[in-house]
Amino acid sequence: MRLLAVTVSIGAALLVMTATPSYAAGGDAIFKKSCTGCHYTDGPAKEKTIAEQLAKKGPELWYAGSKFQKDWLASWLQNPKPIRPLKYNSLTEKNAADHPKLSAGDAAAITDFLMGLKSSEVKAGVIKPAESAQARNIYAKKAPCGGCHESLVNGKPAGGKSGPSLAGASKRLNPDWIYAYLANIKAFKPVRDMPDFASALNKKDQMSLSAYVATFE
Amino acid sequence: MSRFLIATATLLGLTLGAAGSAQAAEPKQVYDFYCAQCHGIDGKGKGINVTKDFATDPRNLTDSSEMAKRSDEDLRGVIKDGGPSISKSALMPHWGSTLTTDEVEGLVKYIRKLCDCKGK
Repeated sequence: MRLLAVTVSIGAALLVMTATPSYAAGGDAIFKKSCTGCHYTDGPAKEKTIAEQLAKKGPELWYAGSKFQKDWLASWLQNPKPIRPLKYNSLTEKNAADHPKLSAGDAAAITDFLMGLKSSEVKAGVIKPAESAQARNIYAKKAPCGGCHESLVNGKPAGGKSGPSLAGASKRLNPDWIYAYLANIKAFKPVRDMPDFASALNKKDQMSLSAYVATFE
Repeated sequence: MSRFLIATATLLGLTLGAAGSAQAAEPKQVYDFYCAQCHGIDGKGKGINVTKDFATDPRNLTDSSEMAKRSDEDLRGVIKDGGPSISKSALMPHWGSTLTTDEVEGLVKYIRKLCDCKGK
């Protein structure tokens, strides 16, 4: 009889465990189960050749907590709209807009996990969003970002399509990450089709450009 | 016996060949990854970035007569230092801090194939 009670108790406990909604699980566990087919989170960067970069199905997320804004990430995971006009690593196929949609609970848990992934390259509190004539000139002419990146011009996307869109960067990206990325792109992406602007733009230019991109609606 | 030798030699050759290509990226792979976004996979200057917002026409690399006017050294220079180094658009960025010397050399040869021309 006692054995029966113990068995029933264990059975009930097991039922509770299996019936527990997934949002109660840690974001790292949900991520491991659902996201690692396309994204990796254990940095530093693994890819060393073009072939290794092309083998990736989605962007690396090992510095996601330094790159993204928390509110944006939690909201995007529930309603993912394309950031890149084209499919990742493709110059010919459109972005199919097929990123999985997460429940509010799973999105919050994964956001907590990803926001904990920081890069020591990114120093906090250096860049404050700001427009300037100097930065507008860099963006448009000196290092024409719009050649590869879309942004909103009079409310409509304008610019190239090979890179991720910069529309909405003010809500999506951490301004300090934009600067760290321009200053030392190789630390984040050793193999990428974006040029290294650290040698073409001085620190002041890099900072004002980062501050400007961080204002993009 | 001779069949076995041929099979072994072929296998060895394939293995060595594969190992060699893993060390240095093929020029076409380098071109497709870095250059095709603006110059197009076919080299005609109509890559995916060339929308109505693109302020210049990327060079048509298959245009033999235009490309023949440029020396290999000119090509190396513009790949490494970008358009402004020859008073052309900054939309052609500098790739010198991204590509290795071997990759630049490979690109010059690949571009000569695309234009089917020699430099001046």
